[in-house]
Amino acid sequence: MRVEDRERVIEEVVSRVVQEKIEAAFRTKSSLETIINDTIYHERRRLESGKLNKKEKQDLLYWKKINKRFLNASEEEQKKILKEIVTGFTQEIMGYFNPRVYRVVTKLVPWGVSLLLGLLHPALWWSTFPKLAKLSERIVIQGEVKLLQALDKIGTVILVPTHSTHMDSLAAGFALHQLGLPPYTYGAGLNLFTNNLISYFMQNLGAYKVDRKKTAGLYKDVLKEYATITLELGYDNLFFPGGTRIRTGAVETHLKLGLLGTGLSAYINNVKHQKQDPNIFVVPCTLSYPLVLEAATLIDDFLKETGKSRYIIEDDEFTQPRRILSYLHALTHLHSHIYVTIAPAMDLFGNCVDMQGVPYDKRGRPLDISRYVMVAGKVEHDVQRDSVYTRELSQEILQAFHKHNVAMCTHIVAFVVHQLLSKNNPEMDLYRLLRTGGKEENLPLRDICEAVERVLGQLQKLAAQGEIRLDAKLQGKGVEAIVDCALAHFAAYHTKPVMFRRGDRIYPNDHNLLYYYHNRLQNYGLEKCV
Amino acid sequence: MANYDCVGVVGGGSWGTTLAHILGQCGHNVLLGLRDPKVMEEVNRQHRNSKYTEGAALSEKITAVQDLALLAQRCEVIFMALPASSFREVAYRLGNYLQGDQIMVSGCKGLEVGTRARITSIIREETCIRKIGVLSGPDLFVEILQGSPSATVIASYYQEVLDKVRKLLFTPFFKVYANADVLGVELGGVVKNIISIAAGIVDGLGFGVNCKAFLLTRGLAEMGRIGAAMGANPTTFTGLSGIGDLILSCSSKLSRNYRVGYYLAQGKTLPQIFEEMKFVAEGINTAEVIHEYAKEHRLEVPLMEGVYQILHKERNIHEVVSELLNRPSKLEIDMTLFEYKNSQ
Repeated sequence: MRVEDRERVIEEVVSRVVQEKIEAAFRTKSSLETIINDTIYHERRRLESGKLNKKEKQDLLYWKKINKRFLNASEEEQKKILKEIVTGFTQEIMGYFNPRVYRVVTKLVPWGVSLLLGLLHPALWWSTFPKLAKLSERIVIQGEVKLLQALDKIGTVILVPTHSTHMDSLAAGFALHQLGLPPYTYGAGLNLFTNNLISYFMQNLGAYKVDRKKTAGLYKDVLKEYATITLELGYDNLFFPGGTRIRTGAVETHLKLGLLGTGLSAYINNVKHQKQDPNIFVVPCTLSYPLVLEAATLIDDFLKETGKSRYIIEDDEFTQPRRILSYLHALTHLHSHIYVTIAPAMDLFGNCVDMQGVPYDKRGRPLDISRYVMVAGKVEHDVQRDSVYTRELSQEILQAFHKHNVAMCTHIVAFVVHQLLSKNNPEMDLYRLLRTGGKEENLPLRDICEAVERVLGQLQKLAAQGEIRLDAKLQGKGVEAIVDCALAHFAAYHTKPVMFRRGDRIYPNDHNLLYYYHNRLQNYGLEKCV
Repeated sequence: MANYDCVGVVGGGSWGTTLAHILGQCGHNVLLGLRDPKVMEEVNRQHRNSKYTEGAALSEKITAVQDLALLAQRCEVIFMALPASSFREVAYRLGNYLQGDQIMVSGCKGLEVGTRARITSIIREETCIRKIGVLSGPDLFVEILQGSPSATVIASYYQEVLDKVRKLLFTPFFKVYANADVLGVELGGVVKNIISIAAGIVDGLGFGVNCKAFLLTRGLAEMGRIGAAMGANPTTFTGLSGIGDLILSCSSKLSRNYRVGYYLAQGKTLPQIFEEMKFVAEGINTAEVIHEYAKEHRLEVPLMEGVYQILHKERNIHEVVSELLNRPSKLEIDMTLFEYKNSQ
C-alpha cells in the first residue's frame, strides 16, 4: 500500500464495514450487540486457548477491556466500539509498500530466493550464495505472458496461482518481476511475519497480513473490504484462491470464494463510480514443482486428519533454513525446472479477454459485462447473484489450473508406482496400503517402465489437446531415463528417498510421499493406462 | 439501454405455444418466436395453433414473430421450448443478439445426442446468458390449455430467476415451485422419458397396474442413481420434476414417449411410429445417451438399458422383458444415494 493511500484506505474500509453492519442490523431488526459480542467471543477464545506471546497478552487485555465497556454500552457507544474494532483490524491487516525497499530488493532478484534464505539465516546465505545464484535460471515462466503484460497496463489484475508450498509466493513474485510487472498486493499468513526481518521486507513488498487464527466474521469482512478497496484503487492483487496450501499434492479441485468475490464487488463499485478503467482481470497461474519443499508435512497433515487439517502449520520445512537449503540445492543440482505457467486471462465472469481487455463469449462475440450486474437497467450489487458468478468464475479458474499443470518425471513415476500398488492390492483401502505398503516389498522395473510408457503416451495425447502440459525435460527422453530422473529427484531432497532402485527392481520407500506426488496427476483419467 | 416490454418464448410447438398462452393469460405481452410462416399467421390472426395445440383458443396477447433479433431486444426473460436436436442452432442464432442481463429458461426435456450436453450447458456455450433457469414438471399442454390446475418447477442458481419466473407465471391454475438443484430438475425431466417409454410398453403388453407400479418405483430408483452419479440431489427426484413428471408421463396416453412404447408393444416399428407422430419423443435419443453414460460409469440401470436395447438394438420386446424379470432382486433402497452433499 502506497503511503499516500494509507489513511484514505483505512477511512474507507472502516466507513464501509461499519455502515454495512449498521444497515444489516437495521435490516434484520437485530442490534450491533450480536456482531460485537461474536467478535469478542471469537477473539477471547483464540487468545485464551494457548500459550501467549507479549503481543497476544496485550491483545487479550484489550478484548477484556472492550468486553467491559460493551456490557454497559448504549447504542451510540456500541457504534463507537464497532468502529474501534474495525479500525484495529484494518491497521493490523494493512501492508505498507515502500518503492525504495522494492527497488533495492529487486536489484537482487536473480538471487531473490537466496536472499530470502539469507533473511531466514544469514550464515547460510553467505555460505551458499554462489550455488544458489543460479536458482533463478531454473524458474521457467511460460504461457500467456504477453496477455498478462498487456492487461496489466489497461486494468487491474488479480493473479490467482495454485498453492502447494510457501515457495509459491516467491516463484510468483519472481515471475512478476521478470515480466516487468509491478509487485502485486497479496495477503500473507501471519506466520510468515514471525521473523522481524522478513516481516519488514514482506510488508514493503506489498504483502498484507492475514491472521487465519482470527475466526470472527467481522475480521473476515474487514479483510475482504480491504482487498476490494485495493482493487478499486488499481492495486494488482495476488490471491491464492485455494485458501491454503493443498495438502494432497493434487491440483486444486475447489476454491474458497470469499476473497475471490472481492474482485466482482470492486468491479461493480468501479462501474457505479464511473471509473475510467473499471475492468479487473483474473489471471490463473499454475505453479509446478518436481519436488515440494513441505511435501512430507502436508501429506502427513492430510492423512492424519483427513478433512480436518491443521490449516495453519507453523512448524513445517519452510521454517527450517537447512531444509530450504537442501531443497534448493537439490533443484539446482538436478537442473530441474519450476514452472510458472500463466493461463489465459479472463474477466470476473470467466469469459476470456483479448489484449485490449475486451471480453468474449464462448463463440467469440464481444461482451458488455456491465450488463451482468444490472438490475432494471442499473448497476447494482446483489449478494446472491454475485456469489453465483464467483462460483462460476472459480470453475473456470479450476479448469485453467488443470490444463496448465506441468507433468514432471516425479509425478509420472509416482503415479504409476502408486497405481500399480493399488491394483496389486485391491483388498486394501488407501490407508492400509499407505501404512503397510502392500504385499510386495518391491516392483519389477520392467512393469513400471511399461506403465510409464503408456501413461506418457496418454499424457502426450492430452497435451496435444491442451488438457495438460509436459515438462520440457521429458521430451526425447526414454522411459528408463524418466524413471531414473524421478529416482534421482526422490533421493535428492526428502529425508528418506521416496523410492529407490536395486538391480531391476524398484522399492517404494515412503508411501505417503509417493501418494502425494501421485496425486498431481489425479483427474486426468490416467488410471486406465496403468 | 435495454427496454424490455415483452416476455419471449422461442419454439412454436405445443409446449412453447402453451407457455406463451399462460404468460398471455397472466397479462404479459408475449413474443412467440417460431419458424413456420403459416403457424405465425394463424397465431397472429386467429389466435390458434392448430398444428400443435389442436386449435385451442390462445391468448390475444401473443404475437408470433420470426425475427429472433426483435425478440432478443424486447424480452428480458426468454423461455426456450425447443427439441434438444435443434436447441444449439437456435440458441446460437439468438445468442448473436442477447445481453448479460437477460434470463433464459429452458423448457426442453432432452439431452444432445453425440455431445451428451445438457440444455443448460448448451445455453452457456452458445450465448452469453448466465441467468439460466430450467422449467420442468408434469405439464400436459392439453390440460393446461383447458385450464385444469397444474404445477411445475423452476430451477436456477439465481434467486432473481426464481423470483421473476414465478412472478411471470403466477396464475391460480398453474403453480410454479422453486428449486435450486438445477441439475436434478433438468435430469428428472430428461431421464423420466425413458421410463415413460417402458410404461407404454407395459400397457401395450397388457401387464396391468401391479406391473406399472413396479416399473415406476424401480424406474425412480434408476433415475436417482443416474442423478446422483451426475451430481444431482437424489431427493429432487421425489418432487414435481421427478416423480411428478414420471407419474404423468407413465399414465397418460397423451405422453409422446409413452405412446412410442405403447406402439412398439403393439408391434409397430420405430419408422412407422415416427411417420404417425408429428411430435419429437426425446426419450428415444435420451435412452442412447444414458446407455453410454451408464456404461462408462458402471451404473446399474436395467430398465433404461432394456428400453435402449429395444429402441436402438432392435431387440425383441418379449425377450428383453423376460431378461428383466429373471434378474435376481437386490436391496430395495440404496441408502448411499442419500449421502449426497450439496456442493452448491
